[in-house]
Amino acid sequence: MKHSGIRVENLMKQFGEGDNAVSVIKGASFEVEKGELAALIAPSGAGKSTLLMMIGCVLEPSSGKIWLGDTLVYDNNWSKADTRALRREKIGFIFQAHYLIPFLNVLENVSLLPLTNKQSEEQATQISSEFLTYLGLEEKLHAMPSDLSGGQNQRVAIARALATHPEIILADEPTAALDIERAHSVVKLLRDIAKSQKVAIIMVTHDERLLTYCDKILKIVAGKIETIDNRDFEEGQNNPVI
Amino acid sequence: MINLANKDIRHTLSKFIVTAMGVGMLLGIVLIMIGVYRGMVDDARILLSDIQADLWVVQQHTLGPFAESSRLHQDLQDTLKSFDGIAQTAALTFQNIQLFNRQNQAIRVLAVGVDPLGDFQIIPPHRLKAGRVLQAQHFEMVVTDKTGFQLGERLSLGRDTYTVVGVTEGTVSSGGDPLVYISLKDAQNVQFSYSNPRIRNDRARGQPTQATQLVNTVVAKVRPGYLPEKVGAHMNEWKHLTTYTHEQQTTILSKNLIERSSKQIGLFTAILVLVSGIIIGLIIYTMTLEKMKEISIMKLIGIPNRMVVQMIMQETLMLGSIAFVFGNVFAHLIYIQFPKRVVLLWPDSIALFFVILFASFLASLFGVYKVMKADPAAAIGG
Repeated sequence: MKHSGIRVENLMKQFGEGDNAVSVIKGASFEVEKGELAALIAPSGAGKSTLLMMIGCVLEPSSGKIWLGDTLVYDNNWSKADTRALRREKIGFIFQAHYLIPFLNVLENVSLLPLTNKQSEEQATQISSEFLTYLGLEEKLHAMPSDLSGGQNQRVAIARALATHPEIILADEPTAALDIERAHSVVKLLRDIAKSQKVAIIMVTHDERLLTYCDKILKIVAGKIETIDNRDFEEGQNNPVI
Repeated sequence: MINLANKDIRHTLSKFIVTAMGVGMLLGIVLIMIGVYRGMVDDARILLSDIQADLWVVQQHTLGPFAESSRLHQDLQDTLKSFDGIAQTAALTFQNIQLFNRQNQAIRVLAVGVDPLGDFQIIPPHRLKAGRVLQAQHFEMVVTDKTGFQLGERLSLGRDTYTVVGVTEGTVSSGGDPLVYISLKDAQNVQFSYSNPRIRNDRARGQPTQATQLVNTVVAKVRPGYLPEKVGAHMNEWKHLTTYTHEQQTTILSKNLIERSSKQIGLFTAILVLVSGIIIGLIIYTMTLEKMKEISIMKLIGIPNRMVVQMIMQETLMLGSIAFVFGNVFAHLIYIQFPKRVVLLWPDSIALFFVILFASFLASLFGVYKVMKADPAAAIGG
């Protein structure tokens, strides 16, 4: 049985009006199931960030539908006026840089969102510690982000994205600031997380070497999405379709 | 719940403290300005409250010795004693003179001429820090501690030498000059007697050569059961003098003499408070700008505006509060260095604290505005 993490139907985004109107996304439809890692690829300016912002409930689409898990969150209107609450409850974000809050330690960075979601301090600390331990950071719980390496910080950012048990994780070029070795380990980690935490992950990347770890490739072509199944290919072997 | 403001401040504690110290120094100056005003008001009232006269009798149509020149005959003090309701009288002179210390530095003082054997106690016992009050009719002087003169020191004044027989504490004129007390006879000589060449010149002109029987004011106390206003009004029927009650004389001092100065200080204080508010606002705005990326991230990952706004506001209020503490410490450390009296009162400090809290709240709105405008989308796409 399929467990949809995210489903998008005929999503469109147009900027401007009349003659000045520019359509960036022109009817994108795709689905990423829970447990899948999907790569979103396209040349610069093709609409990756726009699509990511729409799925992330940051930018309102012009039309279309978005499901996060079983919830229809957008159907020509947001289902919840407070899109920030939607993001907090259903989406985890990972960015190009770790963007941890510099004045909070590792544990506080991760537990901030669960606490905001009205979890008790004990619960939030426990969940956060578990994720940080899972990501090999049990020794660094009380370290400040400035005391960690880039790879460690990115793992803290992943723990932060996981801490609220989101339906999906949106990773915007999470390996952009890492060397290739660390980039590989982070993407492998994302794939393992997708499987073990049963979460759908969409990762924007420009690095084709990392696509081998992905279950799906979402390619933006002329404002639409071409979905390429990547599961039949062995690790380290590129899909010839790309 | 994690207190973001606390965490942020701890993260940049030294920067925050130095900033608070800077703002605190500004607030310290505000406190000093208020203290200068309080000092002026206090100074203006010291002499009046020390003398404790019910009535001040002065030359007709003048405002009295502190505001205008006033000359009366000394024997008026005896005449007034015959008035119904008058218990005690004393003739006084006031004049600004310069004394020279051992380093030959000029010290401007207000000399009060009092009759050492008169009815009135012009120097209250609590003012006397060392020595005694005047007892001889000549060449004794009581000085205030601010002059720096010591007990037993001999000082030249006019053609004579005076001995310091007493030192008072905190006695100053309405203008902030230290007070010295000399006998009425000596004071009249200093104020009204002329030099020998002048006397010779006046004789040659056929003019009177001296007027040492004049005083600047006569003060009086009324008997119990008599109203100073009524006794004064009765005296005013004599056309050559004017009387003021203690309250009227206080009003003349505070309204006519220090009102403009107090307005000026008040305006300065208001401007300084405004500038402090603007500076706090700019600091918070800059601190917020420095965190814009983090704020965008927080908004993107779902942290409610309320938490971010709370952080900005708490930081502003903490900055205002810590600056206020530094300001108080700073003001209390330096106020003694000011040449004029500075009176720092806790009610003023507390009032300033609330003003600063309110100003900080307004100032934080700059940062809050920036937070509200922060675009969470700025976090995506680098």
